[in-house]
Amino acid sequence: MTSIHRRSLMLLCLAALGAAGMFLGPDGWFGIDIGPVGATVLYFALCLFAVHQSKHAEEAFPEDASYAERQAWVATAFVSLIYIHWLNFLTMLPDLGAVVDQISNPASRRFAINAGMTILVWTVVAGVLRSGNKDAVELDERDLRVQHDATRAGSALLAVIIIGLITALAMLPDLMSRWLRPLIVANALVGLLIAKTLSENMYTVVRYRRGRP
Amino acid sequence: MSEPSVRNEIRRWRQENPAMTQAELARICGVTRQTIIALEAEKYSPSLELAFRLARALGRNLEEVFRFAEK
Repeated sequence: MTSIHRRSLMLLCLAALGAAGMFLGPDGWFGIDIGPVGATVLYFALCLFAVHQSKHAEEAFPEDASYAERQAWVATAFVSLIYIHWLNFLTMLPDLGAVVDQISNPASRRFAINAGMTILVWTVVAGVLRSGNKDAVELDERDLRVQHDATRAGSALLAVIIIGLITALAMLPDLMSRWLRPLIVANALVGLLIAKTLSENMYTVVRYRRGRP
Repeated sequence: MSEPSVRNEIRRWRQENPAMTQAELARICGVTRQTIIALEAEKYSPSLELAFRLARALGRNLEEVFRFAEK
């Protein structure tokens, strides 16, 4: 392991610690709310990681990884983070009581800030990758074929999840009725879209990995 | 990814011309270098259009570069 890899790993560990603090939230650690501190540490570590990786882009990814594959890796990482934010947000909703039926509530504000920050850092990292791309061609027919297959895989997964939810509604009405409130359902639909995007990116990464000599 | 039934001799013909690097062939054909790497490793079957472009760039007939492998 080179010093570049060690520094990358340290920054990712710091980001993971920040994420853990952020998800503990109020009363998470001896009654102390370390959520905002955790979020700050997470995004500070991610920004440092982005700058570090941009300086050593050739070390950050396999040498034979194309621009599209690198972007797919980055997208998988950031969409995973957004999905974790969303899962955390969704589990808080049923306990909010009447506040949950208001569009602006503490949980949704927190999710919006976290998701917004993640997208901001993602945009910076994607821009750094684009500026470092030495190939004249960003996407070719192989990349487009992988993207097409990934979209099909994502749509198939979406259909399976929707059928699963409908079945759960029919089979477990008492359990599911707790979640049947307009804004929770709306947020669940947002989550489905995030899950679809995540599955597409994961499929893309796996396809590139398997297609490597 | 399933095993391609189209085999190719891209690497062989490319190495006959020392100036024809993977990057150069990719530039001529309008694809990424990683696609040339995948093609040479027979991990990817090109479209008919790309197959023609590759054959032309290598100065060969299509049949000299690609052949259909019966499974």
